Amino acid sequence: MLKRSEDEDGPGRGPHDLRDASTCQDVLSLSISSTAGYPVGGTEMAPSVQYHCACLSSSPAPPPPHLPSSSSSFHPLHTLFFCEECDAVRCNRCVAVEVSTYYCPNCLFEVPSASVRAEKNRCARNCFMCPNCRNTLSVVPSDPPENSDGRLTVPISAVGEPPFFLYCNHCRWDSAEVGITFEKPTGLAAQLQKFEDSAPDSLEFDRLKEHFEPFIPAASAALARDIPGVSKYNPSQGDEMTEYRSRVDIATASRMGTGGGDADVEYMRHLETVSEVASLNQRWTSSWATSFQARDLKPLRIPLHSKRSKRCPACTHILIKPEQKAQSVRYKIKLVAANYLPAITVTLPHAQQAQAEAARRSLGKSTAAAPEDDRGGSGVGMHAGKTYPFHLALTNPLYDPIQVRLSVQRMHVSTATTTSADGSATEKARRPPFAVSLPTSSFPIAAFAEAWEYEDDEDMFGVDDDEVGAGRGGREKDGRGKVKTVGVLEKRANVTVVGGEVVIGKEARGAVKFNMLVSYTYRSDDPAPSEGNDGSPTKSTKPPEIKTFAFYTVVDLGLIIPREDVRLDSES
Amino acid sequence: MDPPIYYSKAEFIETDTGNKVSRRATIAGPQNIILGGKTIISSGAIIRGDLRRTGPGHAVVISLGRYCLVGEGCVMRPPYKTYRGNFNYYPMKIGDHVHIGANSVVEAATIGNHVEIGKNCVIGKFTIIKDCAKIADNTIVPPNTVIPALSLFAGSPGRFIEDLPESTQEMVEAQTKQFYTRFQPLER
Repeated sequence: MLKRSEDEDGPGRGPHDLRDASTCQDVLSLSISSTAGYPVGGTEMAPSVQYHCACLSSSPAPPPPHLPSSSSSFHPLHTLFFCEECDAVRCNRCVAVEVSTYYCPNCLFEVPSASVRAEKNRCARNCFMCPNCRNTLSVVPSDPPENSDGRLTVPISAVGEPPFFLYCNHCRWDSAEVGITFEKPTGLAAQLQKFEDSAPDSLEFDRLKEHFEPFIPAASAALARDIPGVSKYNPSQGDEMTEYRSRVDIATASRMGTGGGDADVEYMRHLETVSEVASLNQRWTSSWATSFQARDLKPLRIPLHSKRSKRCPACTHILIKPEQKAQSVRYKIKLVAANYLPAITVTLPHAQQAQAEAARRSLGKSTAAAPEDDRGGSGVGMHAGKTYPFHLALTNPLYDPIQVRLSVQRMHVSTATTTSADGSATEKARRPPFAVSLPTSSFPIAAFAEAWEYEDDEDMFGVDDDEVGAGRGGREKDGRGKVKTVGVLEKRANVTVVGGEVVIGKEARGAVKFNMLVSYTYRSDDPAPSEGNDGSPTKSTKPPEIKTFAFYTVVDLGLIIPREDVRLDSES
Repeated sequence: MDPPIYYSKAEFIETDTGNKVSRRATIAGPQNIILGGKTIISSGAIIRGDLRRTGPGHAVVISLGRYCLVGEGCVMRPPYKTYRGNFNYYPMKIGDHVHIGANSVVEAATIGNHVEIGKNCVIGKFTIIKDCAKIADNTIVPPNTVIPALSLFAGSPGRFIEDLPESTQEMVEAQTKQFYTRFQPLER
């Protein structure tokens, strides 16, 4: 069940922020440097909300959103995990990863980890990669079936006359070009691995491995020193290391490929097409200095893929545990943040209206061409010096109703002083680019349920009072009697839509991007909701426990169209 | 939350199971095509159900699952090969929640559930696409390629780019269901 067992202060928590909520509108001006904010996030036109993971910073508060580096602290909700034990959000950057299964991405064979090492992390069946274009190669006989119309057919079956060779369906490379043919179409990897193993580089590697073998236990102990149950590295055991003598002299090794030095120069002089030289991309997987001639490229055995389980870095509890079967997309354990945190989507009503209009107009025309029109459309962008409403739709994934409170992150005092210190003259000349208003009173979101019962919940939380308060606040701030833009706008099932407003300064440019703290309270009156029989008596005796969780998000509403551009638009 | 996608009511035929098929799509051999329900065939799409296996009896050529989308101008054609001297077409099976972007050509043998294929892709003959895979826009997948579960493929030839997040299945399912509800008729 989706309930939290305890309420500790996790790293994603900002306890001080709950006190910030005042009774009326919380209007905050965010200063944003135009140079930093402009190109970042400009690739994506649609407004977005990303969630903060505190693993990169020492403080629970996220970095200011206009810094380009802040993007690495924010992630889309669906890529995040949630540790129940720590009560904290975890991201792919901070989780500890371990391999649970190896498999070949082509034949989908699950390789036991014992043979992974012997087969050098590559598929040992009939899977090969084209050294030229990285496509998978097929085994073809040397007598391709004749086609009646005389066109070249793509040989696909391995039935026919020997010798067999490997053929690329995409770039038409074949292994006969490099002198690799096979007598029978099976067990090719074993035949190729023989070549691989007798190559001077792998012989040298084996020798090196043999030389270092006695030191491996000590070294792996050193690597694994943080793992509980493994003894610490004791440097006294393995310090006397004998001198290593290489199998091949370094001077001869450099002439391994085409001959090195002068021979290479000579080859380059007589080059006719660029494709005769293998690109860096085609060569850099080899461990040894190889020939740079494209005709020396060898087929590659396909590297294995893995399924991974993920652990919380703090408490080592498992967050993700996939099913053993390689192609199964199910998980034994899957603690993703989307099941714990409310999902937030942001929309700009004015852009949406323009889009809907365009869609109606272009009805019957190809919708594939429609998005291109939207980009240049004057109704979609946000012009400097105007005020725009925006909608935030919050979806509750929990089986309990929650009370949510939103607030715009205040700028730290330290950052404020530094900006005024280093560029006070310029900062004073420019007004803050935009100001964001959000409803400050908390609002409810109904529980997630298969059969919706939300009438009861509305009574419980006194929704009407909230709505009136938020609406009045909005009007007070705006000073005009038009339709409410800030406050709770809509409630249906487990989704609540709230409105906010952004006032963009006359000289503003860059992106409208701000950090938003979302804190929510939920009742966890029953610690084990799934075990229902014994739960009911304890539930009646214990008062419902109110727990709070808070997390940061960054809301990106898109780019501001500066004044100059507006004038250009109206002229044309 | 997202705005509806309108289509003209006259253009589409809606079946009992909620499939929406454009009258401007070319459906050849409809008796050999199975649509799972709530599947949308956009205008300009070509589905070649007539390219059936030789031999007597009824043969399913192309089967699509539930909540699928065949984008505008897509070509769905069963794969073929000459095996032991006999030319034959082979059936194409597509799972649930599969979206195929506009102007893509699909000749795959099997496409799993929750697969996203972008715009302007070419999916070569006998390609096998496993569950929750994603093919980026403008990808060329050569014949006989196997695309493992939860992987993103892109480029020409299509290559493995990265693993997709663990919640891909839920994401794609929600997205395809939402697309179907957003796809609304407009009377004119």
